Parts: sequence; structure tokens; C-alpha cells
Amino acid sequence: MKILPKVLIPLSGILTIGLVVTAVNLSGGTTTKEVVLVTHSSFVMSKELIADFDQTSGYTLKLLKAGDTGSLTNRLILTKQSPIGDAVFGIDNTFASFATENEIIDGALVPTNFGDVCFNYDKNWFTERKLTPPTSILELVLPKYKSLTVLQNPNTSSTGLSFLAATVDMLGESGWESYWRSLKNNGVKVTNGWEAAYFTDFSGSSGKGAYPIVLSYASSPANEVRSDGQSQTASIMDGCFRQTEYAGVLKNANNPKGAQAIVSYLLGKKFQASFPEAMYMYPIVAGTPIPASWSKFTQVAARTYGDTLDLNANRKIWLAKWSAIFE
Amino acid sequence: MWVASLIFFGALFYWPLAKILSIGLNGNWLAEIATNKIVAITWFTIWQAVLSAVLSLLFGIVGGYVLYHRFFPGQKFIRALITVPFMLPTIVVAIGFTAFRELPFVTNLLQANSGVPIIICANVFMNYSLAVRIIGGVWQSLDLDLEEAAELDGAGRLRTFISVTFPQLVHAIASAASLIFLYCAANFGLVLVLGGTSVKSLETQIYISVTQNLELSKAAGLVLLQTMLTIIAFVWAHRFAKSGFAFFGQATLTRRRHIDRRDLPAVVITGFFIVILICLPLITIIWRAFMVEKGFGLQNFANLAGFGARDLLSISVGQAAMNTLRNGVITTAISMTIGIMTSFLISRPTKLGNPSWLQRFMDLISQMPVGISSVVLGFGYLVSFGGGLFPLRSSWLVVPIAQSLLTIPLVIRILYPAITAIDHQLRESAQTESATPSQIWWLIELPIIRNVLVMASGYCAIIAVGEFGAANFLAYGDQATLPTVLYQLISRSGAQNYGMAMAASTLLITAAAVIMCLISALENRKPIA
Repeated sequence: MKILPKVLIPLSGILTIGLVVTAVNLSGGTTTKEVVLVTHSSFVMSKELIADFDQTSGYTLKLLKAGDTGSLTNRLILTKQSPIGDAVFGIDNTFASFATENEIIDGALVPTNFGDVCFNYDKNWFTERKLTPPTSILELVLPKYKSLTVLQNPNTSSTGLSFLAATVDMLGESGWESYWRSLKNNGVKVTNGWEAAYFTDFSGSSGKGAYPIVLSYASSPANEVRSDGQSQTASIMDGCFRQTEYAGVLKNANNPKGAQAIVSYLLGKKFQASFPEAMYMYPIVAGTPIPASWSKFTQVAARTYGDTLDLNANRKIWLAKWSAIFE
Repeated sequence: MWVASLIFFGALFYWPLAKILSIGLNGNWLAEIATNKIVAITWFTIWQAVLSAVLSLLFGIVGGYVLYHRFFPGQKFIRALITVPFMLPTIVVAIGFTAFRELPFVTNLLQANSGVPIIICANVFMNYSLAVRIIGGVWQSLDLDLEEAAELDGAGRLRTFISVTFPQLVHAIASAASLIFLYCAANFGLVLVLGGTSVKSLETQIYISVTQNLELSKAAGLVLLQTMLTIIAFVWAHRFAKSGFAFFGQATLTRRRHIDRRDLPAVVITGFFIVILICLPLITIIWRAFMVEKGFGLQNFANLAGFGARDLLSISVGQAAMNTLRNGVITTAISMTIGIMTSFLISRPTKLGNPSWLQRFMDLISQMPVGISSVVLGFGYLVSFGGGLFPLRSSWLVVPIAQSLLTIPLVIRILYPAITAIDHQLRESAQTESATPSQIWWLIELPIIRNVLVMASGYCAIIAVGEFGAANFLAYGDQATLPTVLYQLISRSGAQNYGMAMAASTLLITAAAVIMCLISALENRKPIA
């Protein structure tokens, strides 16, 4: 009795903690009804589509957004022994081989959608000022376009990295750095993610920002159609990068069957048809209906740059060089 | 009990640390951190912390004089007001200063695009009250006679301060300086949000190396640098720490003179500082929170029930707040249990009178986490508890456990002096009445330190609610906490997300203000031991 209570009370505290840990571990992960889809931050799936998936598959879908494409991939690599979800959407061709190399995917990554990363400009802005809009990324360094462009940091954004790859391809290992130095001297603004650049800084979209040129997608103008039936924006078709995004089942997933079901759903008719309006990307499955506005306001780039380079081998070197210029 | 404590610290603190070390030693960490870029980042981390501490102290000395050494009506209210920033989660301060830097006069004055001036402003904003309280706390208890004697001899106030008062305050000033340096050197959230792409501290570079570049051995090398820095600062702080934690509950013991006309310069400086750098940022957040597309309204607050623009969040801000509350309760429970247990063990009197080697060892073991930043701990947990025998990472408990390790050293440093200060005659007389050690502990010692326990729990809860560095590594999806959700909103800022971040920050500021008013009301009634 003398020492018993003294020892018992803190010990019981620790015991409770231990018990709760085990209880949570046993109950938390293993409900096979729930399937967790890990995505990048720009993923959009409407409530109707989520409900439709839940109903047709019998699973309950939970979405987990894990940052930009790079952070998403890295996070999955860091947690691959007990993954934070069952399936992944949004690893793109700038990171796909890195993901495969690190063995985080059970089976193979399957392509789900693609889009051309291009610059957009605000047509109204240029008309009002009687200024000719640029037609190639090479013109962005001209003095007349000083402080008009906003783009994304390639360290933190897949569109930013796409454009960096395009410049390396277009200008060669000897020329791309001086191009970026000129861009910097010409007052480009760099944001961390696509949303901030497009929805806040760009003048041609909802944020009505101060920059009339933005790095986005060739398809974005279709989503900026105003009441007069015309799009407020257009794309600069020279210097685009063909981005492809992938989905896959994660290794060691709690619910591999559910994961397979959601990956299949992403490739199904309904979800494929939602890509253009929800994420400004083309569905990968041929024959999927495309909105009428798309055929009118968007085009596929005749020639793209950078997507055939070995991104995995070069990414780190390019990013270090880019950072040396900008940071 | 010894074994349980040692296992707790060993498994949950030293194991992750060893894991980081082994990653570092396996890789080529020395070469990876011996670059110009890392040297520049280390240098920035140090000088911004030094500059922030110096500025906080300069204003803090003047503020301590006006708010503690002199007396005027409404003083209690102003003391409470300046403490609000210190209680706010750093991420809220960071969000506040993204709005503050957009005010035209701030942009012009600070060239706020570059990030560095605004980071230093935010540091001073957070730590001003710490300087005022520590310095003022000593100042108000100084004997007035000496000062008045000097004045009678014809010394002006400034001269009196320099030759009479300052020497008595040196200790408090050094204590405040080291604490503020410690906080600023490890201020992850501020630099991450306000620094943009170009300004980096060691803490943000660790985070970027792990999450963006997956350079683990480089991150491990940075951890060593950061830890060396904090340990040096901590050892320095520890030498002066006696006055360091009397943050709440300083009773006014000596008479104070009413403020008079000759105090005008000090009053003007303090007033100006409080209006511009304390009130204005707070008001800017609140003002932005009510600002909607056309005029003012409550839309931003209504949006908090949703997931943000384009469903950015996995859970609503309200749900994240519930997670944070739950984590806060668990963190407090764990750190109080372990903290009380450890303080009890190391404070037991021994036969020889001196602490035993086991007690000294335990003291050291339990204080080590102070030198480890939350970012480092989060990184350690991420790489240590991923799978295998102890897959703690996949459980929500990982966040409160990591947070409790950050608060336990603090709990012990608050409790241990209080326990040892108990009159040992009480204990001895109880022993002669044949009370068992446990009876003495539960019936005599514990009730005496009750107030200190309440204070320590309060600290734990405040730190747990605002903790961002570890949670940012460990909490995502439906386990996201309020600070991590706020970070997502501010780093993907469309108009809607920006407004939501402001609205949530406004709610937190209100909560902090209410708590501060309650505490200062309590202070009025009874001084806490």
C-alpha cells in the first residue's frame, strides 16, 4: 500500500494512452468501406460525382489534398510504409518516373487527363491599351511587356515546372538561364501555386488582378466566356508543355479494392466528362464529349516543348539553377 | 515510475532524434550543408532574431517603464491588450501581417515586398509583451527610494535610469533577450508565410528540403545546425531564466508613482508603438474579415463552414477547430501527467541532501526537448513512426504526443521550482505524524502548488492550440488542425480563401483577447503563487 498508489496513477495514465493508441490503430485504418483518394490541391470533384461513386461502388470516398504535385509525391514517398490514403490522383509527367522509381504505386500509374500548359492573356486589357499581345514566350522579355506577367514557382507548382522544362527544351541548356534572367529583369511575378496566380493576380479572371498575362492552360479561355459570348482571354500557343496527369493504387493501401474502384471511376465516362470544366484539362479517354465552348475557344498546341526531356534526371539541377536566379 | 518516464522520453523523443541523426550520417550531410546558400540562411536566421530581440527590448524597456513602473488608470487593460499578440498562434500573426503589409503606408515604408522587414515587424509584434512583462515585472518591484534619492541629487530621469535603474534591470533584460532570440530563431510559420519564395530560415529550409525536395540527409544536417543554435540560446537563457516564466500573475508589491508630465517622451513612444504595431495589425485583420466583394458583410464567416474555394480543404475550418481542441486537451493531459511525474521524481529529497545522479540524469533528459524545434520533431516523427513496430504516424494521436514533448520541459520548469519551494518543515512534520510519502504528495504538496498546476496547464493548452511546425508535417486530411488549415488557406489565396483566413483569425484574436481579460481580472483578485 505504501508505494502502490504512487506507481499506479501515472502508470495507469500511460496505460490508457497506450490502449487508446492501439484502439485507434485497430479501428481507424481497417474499415474497408472507406476509400481515401490523395490528390493535389487543384483537384476538383463535385458533390454529385462523389455521391455517384459512393452509390455505384458501395464505398465511401474521402478526399485528402496533399499540396502541389511535388509535395504530394514526396509525401507519399515519405509515408509509403503506411500510406496516408488508398489511391492517388494528380502525379503528372514531371513526377511520374520519380514516383515509380520510389515504388509507391501498386501496379502502374494510368494516365487520366492532359492539357497544354501555356500562357493566357487578358484580351480586354490589351485592346483598351491598344497594345499587341505577345504571340510567343520569347516576347515576354520585351520592355513593352514589362511587369505584365505572373507565373508559378517551379519548386512548388507543376505548371511552373512544366514551363521551366519548356524553356529548357526551346532555348537549350546554353540559353534558358539567360532567358529567365531577362524574365526576372522584366518584372515577372512568381507565385507559389497556380490558384494564386490565376484567381488572384491575373486580370482576366475572377480576381481581376494587376497582371494581364498568366501561366495557365490552353483550355482556360473556355472558362472565361462573358455574356457577349466571347472569351475574355486567349492563349499564347508558342512555348507550351503537354502535361499528363496520372492516377494509381498506392502500395500497402488499407483498401486496395476500394482504391481500384476509384481509379476505375476516374477513367469512367462521368468523371472523364467533368475534366474540362472542373480542372481545365482534356479527358484522356477518346470519345468523351467536350463542351461546345471548348472547340470554339481552345486549341491544342501544334508543337509542345519539354515533355520529351528526361525530367526525373534533370529536375533537381534545373530547379537549383532556377532558384539561384530567383532567390 | 522512473522506468515509465525514461521509456516515454526514450521512445517518443530520443528515438526519432536518433533516426534523424542516422539519416544524416548515412548521407553526405556535411557536404550538403557546407554551401554558401546554407551559410546565408543560417546567418539570416541569426541576425533577424538578434535584430528582432533588440527592437523588442528597446521598445520593451520604455513600455515596461510606462506600464509597470508608473501608474495610470486603464493600465491593466493596456497590459492585457499587448499580451494578445503573444498568445496568438504564429500562423495567425503571419496571416495578419500579410494583410498589414498591404496597407499603402506600410508597403511604402517597409518595402514590404522583400519580406524581411515585415518578418521582423511580426517578430516584434509577438514578443513585445514578453519584453515588457519580464522587464516591467522586475521594475515594478524595485525600491523607489534609491531612484528618488538620485533625483534629489539633481539627476535627470534618463540619467537616473542609466546609472541607478539599469544595473538592477540588466538581469531581466538579458533574460528577455535570450528568450526572444530563442522564439525568433525558431519562428517557422512567420518566415514560411511572409518570406515568400526568397527569404528562408533554417526552419523553413528544413521543411522545404523534406517536403519539396526530398533531401533527407540535407534536412538532417540542417537539423543539427538549428539544434546547435537553439541549445546555445537556451543555455544562455537558462542562466537568466529565474525571472523568465513569471509571465502571468505578477502582483504589484511596492508603491508606484503616478505618471506625470516629465514622462511624456516615454508615453509618446509607447503609445505610438502600441497603436501602430499592436493595434493596427489586429484591426487590419478584423477589418479584412468583414470585407466582402461589395462592401462589408458576414460572408467570410459563413464560408468557414465550407471547404474553401474549389474545395481546397479536406475538412471545414470548424471541424479543424474541433481537432485542435481535442489535441489541446490530450496534449495538456499527457504533458501534465508526465510533467508532474518527472518533477515529482527529480524533486524528492534524498538522504544525502544533494540530488542523486538518477535525478540529475532525469532532469537533463527531460529538458533536452527544449532545444528541439517543433519542425525538427515533426520531421523526426514522420521518418520514425511510419510503419514497422510502432505505426504511430497513421494515428491522430501522433500530433498531441509530439506537441506534448514540446510542452513537457516547460511544465517541469514551472512545477519543479514550485515543488522545491514548499517549506520542508511541512513535509517533515507530516512524516513525524507517520504520513506515507504518497499521502504527503497528494494531501500536502499537490494542493499547495494547485495554482501553479493551473498555470502550467494553461501554457500547454495555448502552445498546443497554436503549434504549427510539427502539425504541418503530421496532420492532414481529416486530422488537419486549425493552424495547418489556415496555412493552406493563406498559401492558396483566392479572394474567398483569403477572406476565410481573415475571418478565422478574427475569431482566434477574439478568443485570445477574452482569455487575456479573464486572466488580468484574476490577477486583480488574487496573485497566483
